[in-house]
Amino acid sequence: MLEGLVSQESLSLNSMDMSVLERLKWVQQQQQQLQQVVSHSSNNSPELLQILQFHGSNNDELLESSFSQFQMLGSGFGPNYNMGFGPPHESISRTSSCHMEPVDTMEVLLKTGEETRAVALKNKRKPEVKTREEQKTEKKIKVEAETESSMKGKSNMGNTEASSDTSKETSKGASENQKLDYIHVRARRGQATDRHSLAERARREKISKKMKYLQDIVPGCNKVTGKAGMLDEIINYVQCLQRQVEFLSMKLAVLNPELELAVEDVSVKQFQAYFTNVVASKQSIMVDVPLFPLDQQGSLDLSAINPNQTTSIEAPSGSWETQSQSLYNTSSLGFHY
Amino acid sequence: MVESLFPSIENTGESSRRKKPRISETAEAEIEARRVNEESLKRWKTNRVQQIYACKLVEALRRVRQRSSTTSNNETDKLVSGAAREIRDTADRVLAASARGTTRWSRAILASRVRAKLKKHRKAKKSTGNCKSRKGLTETNRIKLPAVERKLKILGRLVPGCRKVSVPNLLDEATDYIAALEMQVRAMEALAELLTAAAPRTTLTGT
Repeated sequence: MLEGLVSQESLSLNSMDMSVLERLKWVQQQQQQLQQVVSHSSNNSPELLQILQFHGSNNDELLESSFSQFQMLGSGFGPNYNMGFGPPHESISRTSSCHMEPVDTMEVLLKTGEETRAVALKNKRKPEVKTREEQKTEKKIKVEAETESSMKGKSNMGNTEASSDTSKETSKGASENQKLDYIHVRARRGQATDRHSLAERARREKISKKMKYLQDIVPGCNKVTGKAGMLDEIINYVQCLQRQVEFLSMKLAVLNPELELAVEDVSVKQFQAYFTNVVASKQSIMVDVPLFPLDQQGSLDLSAINPNQTTSIEAPSGSWETQSQSLYNTSSLGFHY
Repeated sequence: MVESLFPSIENTGESSRRKKPRISETAEAEIEARRVNEESLKRWKTNRVQQIYACKLVEALRRVRQRSSTTSNNETDKLVSGAAREIRDTADRVLAASARGTTRWSRAILASRVRAKLKKHRKAKKSTGNCKSRKGLTETNRIKLPAVERKLKILGRLVPGCRKVSVPNLLDEATDYIAALEMQVRAMEALAELLTAAAPRTTLTGT
């Protein structure tokens, strides 16, 4: 027993034990120095912390490997203190008392930082993965939309009524929405689906319809092309009609004071009969009666009228009633002056 | 992918069903607009409306003549010009009344008479400063509008009560106003011819 205990092997083991203990002390000293460095350094940058973590992990690995070797060596020696309490294969070695778990001081310092960083990394990685998946799905949808739009474009080649404004808008939208992976198909003319462009198109169509109605009314407007020319014709025609009304009112003003009882003498029936005859015979709207001569101030010069001149319009056949009758019952027409 | 490229027949049927009522609504609106325009034009072209307008105008002219006879006899030029203006105003008012105030221009003409009456009661305010200098300043500061907009503005001034109206409404009013003016010209022309024919020749010839 004593020979077995005090042998060269045991001495070598003791020497090994001493070396391991020394190494442990040396590692602990190094860790203390690192702690001091960390405490002294005011700016705890993440790079430095990573380096420290790396060193700490290496030291732990070294310690574990050394202890495992030591246990393997000392497992076959010494008495087997199996008292029947524990499992039979377990044996307490001589050097088992020397086995010390190294205190990870770096873990104590950086545990909270690591946890928070890990949580942050997890939170960051999840949305990144989601966005990638969403991008993939979006790409698929866009490709499908492109194919559909190209099919529609081929079918709707005839629709080329929209103006350059809509095409400009679509091109602007294309440049804004263009991405690296997405090839944008330029919208064809007449296919703009924006609310504003649709409303503008409807407004333009409405205006063009109303211009067509005006074109039908105004004579000589069919020859003119373009909105500006048509508007010129319309303006001229309205002004012409207003001048005609002015001229006719002047004519009636000249006739009215001189013809004292002319208006009162005419009965309603005769007036209506004459009116229908004149309107039926007359096709042109424009007045062919020569203008009254005007003086410098713009008023009528009655002295310049030719005394031998007679009116070209003759009264219709049939005797005029001389009795003055009430001209027209205004209350029946609903016109109250 | 293939399904998205070639949609099924059922889907196309549904889309056509959905779109049909919209198309029909727009078509109905167009038909209604056309009908309204045609009715407004036909209304002014009918013989009956012309007769009514002419009769109302004759009645108005008789009243104008009665007023002018009561007033003091001034120079003939002033009388004629004043009477002409009065006759024109009455003709316009009668035209607006025959339109029954359904359009902007008719309402504007009827309202202008009330404004004219109010203006007479008010005292004329003295104008301060040179008008010419102001006009010059405004002319220099004016921005030139495009041709179409400028012409639309002129048309808005010509049609009464349409200075601050949108383009489609202005065109509607212009169509109605032109038709009404044509009728007015025809009626006044016929009335003038009737009066000249009914009058003794001596009054016109001056013998």
